Amino acid sequence: MAMRQTPLTCSGHTRPVVDLAFSGITPYGYFLISACKDGKPMLRQGDTGDWIGTFLGHKGAVWGATLNNEATKAATAAADFTAKVWDAVTGDEVLTLAHKHIVKSVNFTQDSSCLLTGGNDKIIRIYDLNKPEAEPQEITGHTSAIKKALWCNNDTQILSAADDKTVRLWDRNSTEVVKQLSFDMSVSSMEYIPDGEVLVITYGKTIAFYNALSLDMIKTVDAPASIHSASLHPDKDFFVAGGDDFKLYKFDYGTKEELESYKGHFGPVHCVRFSPDGELYASGSEDGTLRLWQTAVGKTYGLWKCVLPGEFSSIWHGIGKVMTGAWFPPDVM
Amino acid sequence: MSTLVTVLRLPRGPDPNGRGFDPNSTRFVALCPTTISASTETWTDSVEVGEEQRARSALRESFLRTLIAMTNKQVQFHMYERVEVEAKFGASDIDVLNFQVSELQTPIGVQKEALLRAKHRKMLLMTVYDADDPPIELPTDD
Repeated sequence: MAMRQTPLTCSGHTRPVVDLAFSGITPYGYFLISACKDGKPMLRQGDTGDWIGTFLGHKGAVWGATLNNEATKAATAAADFTAKVWDAVTGDEVLTLAHKHIVKSVNFTQDSSCLLTGGNDKIIRIYDLNKPEAEPQEITGHTSAIKKALWCNNDTQILSAADDKTVRLWDRNSTEVVKQLSFDMSVSSMEYIPDGEVLVITYGKTIAFYNALSLDMIKTVDAPASIHSASLHPDKDFFVAGGDDFKLYKFDYGTKEELESYKGHFGPVHCVRFSPDGELYASGSEDGTLRLWQTAVGKTYGLWKCVLPGEFSSIWHGIGKVMTGAWFPPDVM
Repeated sequence: MSTLVTVLRLPRGPDPNGRGFDPNSTRFVALCPTTISASTETWTDSVEVGEEQRARSALRESFLRTLIAMTNKQVQFHMYERVEVEAKFGASDIDVLNFQVSELQTPIGVQKEALLRAKHRKMLLMTVYDADDPPIELPTDD
């Protein structure tokens, strides 16, 4: 029996949200950055969705956004042919890296010293952030626009997914391809889980899991609709996915069974990611919103509070109109 | 067994007036020790920066004590267009962007409770007075 849940809706963007990323867990909690076609990426507190600030400077749609582990730096990739690096504490722009075409993907190394970029010019670039004026290292090979480029294997290798229907594993030093996967259609998203070296790839209605070092397939799962993004829980017991039918799906990773599905968004889901503590997952949609969903519905966490039946009436009187909630007797759903 | 999941409040949305990154947040203060622009040319002189920080802390403390002392006192706000309004001072918000006041005397009537936007003043000069005490003029660092 599935439980209905109350997602937290984060409004503020005025166009579709196309990418999102969490930071690691910092002494100040964890953080979430969202990339939006309105050109104004936003930083939010990860466990509540509270807005912290907007990075102002891009002159076009922002296609990719990321934070470093400590959430002290942010990077964004945009249609204005630039990638930008930001101070994620002050919101100030630190660096603008000019490209020759739309930039789609940005990714920091673990120590934040290098930034990986990829986009429509089909070239992967590595920038040394300690020497930003130096020419970046370039990795060529893809024959179509790059959707995503990620560091992997302790930042010694790079994984990239492009519209040429391939996913390639590159050696950072030699810039040569180590291994390659080919698909019948374009890969819609890619997520890399360093702990356990798992690669999550989505294409069509399929969510596929690979070993990130060998690119051996672990398993594939088919969803009821075309999937744009998926994310594996840190404990590797669940994964979530979202796509064309506006719903979020939750699957058991071990049994591949579909456990729950949630309606909420008013447009296709473009991106979904688990928080670093696994307690919630965030989704970004064509409808311009981000929503935060509980992994364990009914748990007290962040802005969600679990109320036992006896407490319900007293809380209603106390908070009045501010409270929203959902209550279902066990025989419904 | 039925349980209820309540939402304590909705996530806070963007501030329409600014880009955020509150300089008074714990994280900002902790990670940006040199966010104050020092009067000295170079920031490498940590002794001078330290002294300036101490002076600024003293001024901030004095300002906060002023706000506390004003609570429930009659206050006069000098607004744009030479408008002056009187009210009973309640509180300031954490960023000193808004003041909560009661019994606000306006040209069109008395407002029982109101929020005054701190930015809607050319110069803030609040005259604080008690019925029994003589008035004290307390300029703020607005």
